[in-house]
Amino acid sequence: MTIRRAFILACGVVLAAAPASAQIDLTGSYQTRMYEDYIERGPGEFMGNYTGMPLTDEGRAKALLYTSNLPSTYERQCLPQSAGVFQYRPVGFRVWSENDANGNAVAWVIGGDNLRNDIRIYMDGRPHPSANALHLAGGFATGKWEGDTLTARLTHLKTAWIRRGVGIPASDDTVITLHMTRHDDLLTMTTIQEDPHYLSEPHVVSRVWQLNPRGTEFDRPTCNTANEIPSLEDTGGVPHYLPGQNPEEDYMVKMFNIPKEAAMGYAHTLYPEYRKTLKGKYKPPVDCVERGPGYCCGWIETQGRPGGAPNLTCNDGGFGVLGPRGRRQGATN
Amino acid sequence: MSRRITLQLAVVMLVVSGFIRTDVADAQARGGQAPAAPPTPRAQAPIDLTGNWVAIISEDWRWRMITPSRGDFPSIPMNMASQKIAEAWDPAKDEAAGEQCKAYGAPGLMRGPTRLRITWLDDDTLKLETDYGMQTRLFEFRAAPTGAPSLQGRSVAQWIFAGGGRGRGAARFGTLKSVTTNLKPGYLRKNGVPYSEKAVFTEYWDLHTETNGDKYIVVTNTVDDPTYLQAPWITSLHFKKEPDGSKWNPEPCDARF
Repeated sequence: MTIRRAFILACGVVLAAAPASAQIDLTGSYQTRMYEDYIERGPGEFMGNYTGMPLTDEGRAKALLYTSNLPSTYERQCLPQSAGVFQYRPVGFRVWSENDANGNAVAWVIGGDNLRNDIRIYMDGRPHPSANALHLAGGFATGKWEGDTLTARLTHLKTAWIRRGVGIPASDDTVITLHMTRHDDLLTMTTIQEDPHYLSEPHVVSRVWQLNPRGTEFDRPTCNTANEIPSLEDTGGVPHYLPGQNPEEDYMVKMFNIPKEAAMGYAHTLYPEYRKTLKGKYKPPVDCVERGPGYCCGWIETQGRPGGAPNLTCNDGGFGVLGPRGRRQGATN
Repeated sequence: MSRRITLQLAVVMLVVSGFIRTDVADAQARGGQAPAAPPTPRAQAPIDLTGNWVAIISEDWRWRMITPSRGDFPSIPMNMASQKIAEAWDPAKDEAAGEQCKAYGAPGLMRGPTRLRITWLDDDTLKLETDYGMQTRLFEFRAAPTGAPSLQGRSVAQWIFAGGGRGRGAARFGTLKSVTTNLKPGYLRKNGVPYSEKAVFTEYWDLHTETNGDKYIVVTNTVDDPTYLQAPWITSLHFKKEPDGSKWNPEPCDARF
């Protein structure tokens, strides 16, 4: 063996023994696979459905003030959404690294159309800034590799919605831990969100995306406002429900016969022992025959169709008052 | 660089790499005897999945915590044959046929509101028990003969070792991959969404430890079924570690709830 070959072999052995700085390449476009919580992520969730959420009383109260017309007002159309909201959206995202001159990743970036800001996960060991530093829609994130999982901690987020469709809030004190794990062409995103104001315990969600080699997942577009509710223009009105007056508060109870405490997001309803308390008491609603009544709600284009229970219609967050496309019933303009 | 310096550098690097790999060298050198038997899957385990775990039903609550109505099956890429069968779901027929556990086969079981108890049955087999339906799954790291199709099928397991964490004392990372076949037909969802005997259930088991000590298993899984699915059904599940088994509460299969 020549000296040159010995040297190359030695280098190879050392490199194989040393930990790699990036264990797996996350770069790429990922397509959402909406095989969980489809109604929330696709056509839109039933109003007043907070199942699966560990809400505090304050979080529940704030969510019940919400109507789905609220984010249609000019001032709110471009509000940030929670940095974890991609878990509840029907779109994909892109992941790329930003490297220094030596090719080392300074940051991994998650870009998508739903965040208002990219999530930039710094990998260079910089500390999180002061609590009083600027809060952004994408927050401030630092990360590290734990084997082949990139684990990030997000702070400095703006007040936003965790699930915008039903108005579940997150405060600017929220902290999100994100685990990004790739297996072949599947990318699993696990978020563990804590919020001292609106969540009574960490809110854990795991979703799977699939690599899209065509790369059609686009970056964050500019958010432009438009007049979405003509009848509200120049009125100064802000769509809302007053405390105790949300007509959808009992929607899930009437539609699916589920206990109100489950619909309203009490943490103890997330665990197996809760199911045992329902045994012998829970009666499922009528069958969903050919996706008829009981299935219509949540699809905007089917507003006003009969609901799945007597005297119940598909009234999504105020449309019954404002009418489709925000027009008042009988309005001519 | 002169030949002498190059040679010295090569020697130094080899020595350094030798120190990094001393765990292997030590094992081989101990006693100067014949090479030891290869480590068992249990000894090799890069992550510890054993213990008591609880499913957090923070997703698909209405379809996992309670039995949904007949025909209520969004999220699953069913084909027309599947839809036809699911719309004819009759739990009374399943009970009469002694098949009240059809929703407790591996692909349906794991989405249930369950606690898991994971232990090593032996050095080559990881055992998973559920209190929901009182089922047992075995993950086999060594080849074993395939028997008749069963509710839990046959799960072949392997460790996937992560790139980092090499060296003495370093944290170890990795994933358990399991592929389950040889399943008897069952239900993906309690309200009769079917899978066939051709179903292949692939799972990736990852362990995440939080800064406060909380541990979560996240299982990324895919159900491939050419008989009843238009596309692979891809989901993930998460389970939180519990300090003990005090909340373990077994209950038998129930075709209705």
